Amino acid sequence: MTMLKVNNRTLEVTSRPDRTLADVLRNDLGLIGVRVSCSEGECGSCTVLVGGEPCTSCLMLVNQAEGQDITTIEGIGSQDDLHPIQQAFIEEQGFQCAFCTPGFIMSAKAFLAENPNPTADEVSVAMSGNICRCGAYPYIVRSVLRAAEKLRKSSGQQAAE
Amino acid sequence: MGTTQRNFSVVGKGAHVKDAREKVTGSLKYAVDLKVQNMASGKILRCPHPHAKIVRIDTSKAEALPGVLGVLTHEDVPQNDWESAWFNYRGKALDGTGRFVGDDIAAVAAQSEEIAEHALELIDVEYEILPHVLDMEKARESGAPEIRCEGNERDPYIVKWGDTDEGSAQADFTVDCDIFYESQQYAPLGRNACIAEWLGDKVTVWTSSQTPSELRDGVHEALGIPLSKVRVMAMPCGSSFGQWWSNNFMIITVLLARKIRQAVKIELTNEECMATVKRRHLERTRGKMGCTKDGQITFAQIDHLIDNGGYGFKDDVGFFCVDMWGKARNGHYAVHGINTNLVTAGCMRGVGDCTLGASVERLADRLAEKADMDPVDFRIKNQIVAGDELRMQHSRDNMKGNRDAYIASIPPHLRKDWPELFHLSAGGTRAILERGAEAFRWKERWKGWATPHTVDGPLKRAVGVGTGAHVCGVEFEGSSSAMVRINPDGSAKVHCAVGRQGRGSETTQCQVAAEELGLPLDMIEIETGDTDSCPWNHGSLASSTMYRTGWATRAASNDARRQLLEIAAREFFDGIAPEELDITDGEIHPKEEPRSNRRFTFSQVLNELRSETLGQTSSITGRPAVPMPPSTTFARQFGAQFAEVEVDVETGKIKILDFVAVQDSGTVVNPQVLKNQVIGGAICGAGFAIYEHLVFDEETGAIKNANLLDYKLLRCADFPHQAQVLFEESPDPVGPFGARGAGESPIAAGISAVSQAVYNAIGVWVDLPMTPERVVRALNAA
Ligand code: FES
Ligand code: FES
Repeated sequence: MTMLKVNNRTLEVTSRPDRTLADVLRNDLGLIGVRVSCSEGECGSCTVLVGGEPCTSCLMLVNQAEGQDITTIEGIGSQDDLHPIQQAFIEEQGFQCAFCTPGFIMSAKAFLAENPNPTADEVSVAMSGNICRCGAYPYIVRSVLRAAEKLRKSSGQQAAE
Repeated sequence: MGTTQRNFSVVGKGAHVKDAREKVTGSLKYAVDLKVQNMASGKILRCPHPHAKIVRIDTSKAEALPGVLGVLTHEDVPQNDWESAWFNYRGKALDGTGRFVGDDIAAVAAQSEEIAEHALELIDVEYEILPHVLDMEKARESGAPEIRCEGNERDPYIVKWGDTDEGSAQADFTVDCDIFYESQQYAPLGRNACIAEWLGDKVTVWTSSQTPSELRDGVHEALGIPLSKVRVMAMPCGSSFGQWWSNNFMIITVLLARKIRQAVKIELTNEECMATVKRRHLERTRGKMGCTKDGQITFAQIDHLIDNGGYGFKDDVGFFCVDMWGKARNGHYAVHGINTNLVTAGCMRGVGDCTLGASVERLADRLAEKADMDPVDFRIKNQIVAGDELRMQHSRDNMKGNRDAYIASIPPHLRKDWPELFHLSAGGTRAILERGAEAFRWKERWKGWATPHTVDGPLKRAVGVGTGAHVCGVEFEGSSSAMVRINPDGSAKVHCAVGRQGRGSETTQCQVAAEELGLPLDMIEIETGDTDSCPWNHGSLASSTMYRTGWATRAASNDARRQLLEIAAREFFDGIAPEELDITDGEIHPKEEPRSNRRFTFSQVLNELRSETLGQTSSITGRPAVPMPPSTTFARQFGAQFAEVEVDVETGKIKILDFVAVQDSGTVVNPQVLKNQVIGGAICGAGFAIYEHLVFDEETGAIKNANLLDYKLLRCADFPHQAQVLFEESPDPVGPFGARGAGESPIAAGISAVSQAVYNAIGVWVDLPMTPERVVRALNAA
């Protein structure tokens, strides 16, 4: 029995401890936004935040994540209430097939928390841990820049209030 | 030029794609995400030898393992050939012979994937090792091991015009080449899975596929059951680009489910996706080309080999890319398709363009250098423009009977709509080259052949240009259709089986329907996966979705619109002629009075249709009234791309610094969707140019880098984020609202632009992929 804190809920999973976090999130908790492609930490499509840090969940064992805050794409916004980064990816169409998109958005979230006002070059380097086979890269960079702007605006508003 | 002449209300507008919210929230379901009740897990046993025949297969130990539900071997499989689109697969689902390392041999269904995997190890197979051949040149020789009963090589595919001997005599300069292309892997992000479930003698198949109708046909052929008993529900694909059409693992899933009388899911691993399904062909071009002093190409003589692996059957990759340099006075292109004991090869994005097309670009570049001409000017001088005669032969040979009989078979009212057969309908490269050269400041930045514009220690920088062309669907493989239904509330649904490959065609098809119907885009939805509700469609392949399916969607919408206006005219407008009515924003009104108060909604008309006097029909169904004109014979898409690169002559590393891509796909239906396709193509092409290639074991042909760690793909920082995409819109006379196809010309243009830029930087042509080692080796050899 493992207790996982996922998207602000504490959930129980019965699982052998040698299963990967990605497997448990997808198959036991139904969080299919955790996409699995390479299973070897190369493509970034399974990126989730563990304790705020981006992690490739295909390489992490489920018991390593126990007790930490885990955030998946499902935890940051929904179809009716999009996160500003999700909104920005729609506006700049930073995807085609979108298999990579949740991973990019999670990487972007962690990156923008560290660097809220990045240059395009910085975004481009920061997004290079993930792969997009459809080659939406220039529009992914634009999406992240636009997201940064949105997030700065909303945190500016919050500060002013 | 640059814009279309017509005012559209939905076409050309940057609508967000319809499934954008599902995509960014991770809720879009691909086939790997789907589960059905009481579903077993399947796994495929793979051949460990490049060529071997099963002498004996004992499944009893595997069957005895607790949790195993059944094992499928070739002995359970009907020995019928089935075929994937465009000869990407021809063979039986399992026939007791393995033709490459990793080939499908048997399959297990079990309660879990782990048990199924364990059971595979318990299947005892005794193989008779057969002689094998990996090299396509050797596979052609007489006495080579026979891989297929049809022979390893069939007749070549030939396109010819004029007399190349004469052309050669007229040439002032001649160049030749012998270029070998490594194999690119689709390297899909995202895997594929297939679920099959039988109810009685009917089967439903869920999988990620670009070609649902072709898959339904494949199941029908392989199992010998009626089409009416097969329902395919195509799910969205992760990046596919030709990989997920109808694939043998899908047929195996269907057979395994039938054997155990229970739903089965087979999910491929990343390694299986990269090593057992398909890849781009290994290819070799031997060619010669000549031109006069003023740069007129007098002949092109090309002999091109493509390796189809075990189950591919193609030889026709040349017929569309030869048209690009169609102003050559004489030409002879021969393409030979050859089978080997390597994993099957098939159509990957830009098939032929990226290899044969790239060879011809390279020959032309080397001629341009000899003639001391700028590569932009040389292209403009020798590449095709609208109205020029096309060179391909296949369409001519495949027209029903002959050209006149074909024309006679087309309804007269359509005949006037399309250009003369065998001539380019619209576009060409001149406009896109001129536009791109200006945007890229080509004249300033190009310093001549083999001349970098900047040298900074070991770093040399230079620019290059490349062009690419592709067909927009092919007419001699069935007529793609679509259906449009208007519902009682006035909303509409498009049904067209093009799958969901991910580029946004669900949205662009809806835009076409919205434009034709006069409905707002949000009133239109689309079904692209269900073969029970969609008419037959070739699928989204050969760049046909916008051009051919778009034509059908528009024609079906037009038919629905006609029916709607007939009823409206009769019931609401005192029986005036329907042609005197028009539709704006979902309201029907007199054409001459767009602001008239006499306007009726679709739902008012449809409810009238439901009244007692008119019977119980509650919706209108529109279908194309006539088949599509023969598109391959005249429609092409064009891309011209400009790249700036930096080459480190010490390490051999290539960096792409700047990029401009210009595309002519006719009318742009959705600018952002098209930009993504163009840039995505350029990046995939650049990747093929500098990194991507499969490594085959020399002895066995097994793929040694079937994973994303060892198979290198371009990443975000490897491509300039400021890359520009520009459009020229030469309206097409047949395509919907003047639109044509788009996805495949950009990849070819990207390859040639980058490889020419590298040549201009270092003065040596490097074979693709131009990996650092190859660059250094080429420099050392020079
Ligand atoms: S699936 Fe985890 S990094 Fe690729
Ligand atoms: S959008 Fe397809 S892999 Fe990124």
